[in-house]
Amino acid sequence: MNCRDIDGMLVERPPASPFSAEVEDHVRGCMRCRALVSALGTFAPGDLPSPATLRQIESGIMSDLHPVHPVAPRLQVFAALIAVFVCVVAVGVYRLGAFAIAVMSPLQVSVIFGVLAVCTGLLASSVVQQMVPGRRHRIPPRLLPVGIMVALGVAIAVLFQFQQERNFWARDWACLKTGIPLGAIAAVPFWLVLRRGAILSPSMTGAATGLLAGLVGTSALELHCPNLHAGHILVSHLGVAVLGATVGFFTGILADTRNTRAVWSAMRRADEETLR
Amino acid sequence: MKCGVENVGARQTFVAVDRWMERYQQADPEAPAALIGALSPALLRFFRSQVASREQADDLLQETWLRIHRVRHTYRPGEPVLPWIYAIARRVRIDGYRRTRRVAAHEVAMETLPELPVRPEQPHTRPCFDTLVAALPDAQREVLTMLKVGGLSLEEVACATSSTVGAVKQKAHRAYQRLRQLLQAGAEEDREGASQ
Repeated sequence: MNCRDIDGMLVERPPASPFSAEVEDHVRGCMRCRALVSALGTFAPGDLPSPATLRQIESGIMSDLHPVHPVAPRLQVFAALIAVFVCVVAVGVYRLGAFAIAVMSPLQVSVIFGVLAVCTGLLASSVVQQMVPGRRHRIPPRLLPVGIMVALGVAIAVLFQFQQERNFWARDWACLKTGIPLGAIAAVPFWLVLRRGAILSPSMTGAATGLLAGLVGTSALELHCPNLHAGHILVSHLGVAVLGATVGFFTGILADTRNTRAVWSAMRRADEETLR
Repeated sequence: MKCGVENVGARQTFVAVDRWMERYQQADPEAPAALIGALSPALLRFFRSQVASREQADDLLQETWLRIHRVRHTYRPGEPVLPWIYAIARRVRIDGYRRTRRVAAHEVAMETLPELPVRPEQPHTRPCFDTLVAALPDAQREVLTMLKVGGLSLEEVACATSSTVGAVKQKAHRAYQRLRQLLQAGAEEDREGASQ
């Protein structure tokens, strides 16, 4: 056993578990390892919270102690998000009509709706993880919304053709006017489902939820709009999702600012009470 | 800084914390004191290793508990409580850092610096954890403090820092290598001092 093995053991070892005899032998004989192990387990005694601070924290908590219901289990939240997504898209398409399916090739249908389904699943799963602090993320929440928009953009650019289009902006505006309300309708139940969680990074969760709501509009437009020009789909269909993510991001920043101010004012109140 | 308190099995302190957390959600009046008593020393050390002053660390500790209280419903019973607590503490530290930077940007520099209080010469003692980790980069210091002070496992640190186990391992390895270099440099200085 050498010093490198000791480093590996220190990293892997479960906290507070005893050293093996082999490790102890090495540490006893190696001055460098002995110094390291000793320093890692030695703390300055002055660094303990003062009883006054602990009392102040406790009294602050006790003055507002009441039972709370834990947030719903992960699977339930995930199912709720997907159910809302599917319901709003279904109602939207029922009202508008699914004219796009008839004009798209089977390849276009399967790829674009496959990508949309995967992106929706990943996004919903990430939002569910972000609801509770200390959850592990397979894909970093900062990267996921950007990655999804890029993936959808690439899929659209590859599957559909770029052509000159008359009344480009008028047609785009018509689709945006149809897609945005659907996204806004979906955003309300999404907020109801998520409002009790997502406290660590509201801006990131806001962006992800906004994008999810925007994808409701994008999916409905993909089923409804028979205009298969790539430029039109990128600007007006995917635009609904981008707009949703942007609005969600800024809403999250506002919520974060409000929460932080509430915590600071609670701390000020606690300080004032202590001074009194 | 006087060093000499051994870190006796941080993990043992946290055995019952999961159960206390559930009771805290049910408004058991004994739960807040039990949780605060069990977790505050490690949390304060976590903040002390990240920020310069004791006063700031106390403020961050207080803010962390206020946030924990406000969001205690986001803890799901049955899940490990330490990553949940440290994810919140980490967020409080980041907010605190931003706040300090904002305040510092509005401060006016004095023409002459006040004289620093002269510390009395202390007999050489072996370096303690806080002194050593102060020389590490932020990310390595955070990981090492969570592992050694907070008593979190690699998986729990990965959860608390929204990272992967591989990345946590790498940071811890680099931190140990750096600590070895620092300890060796310190030992050589001591030897040179003794020979002169």
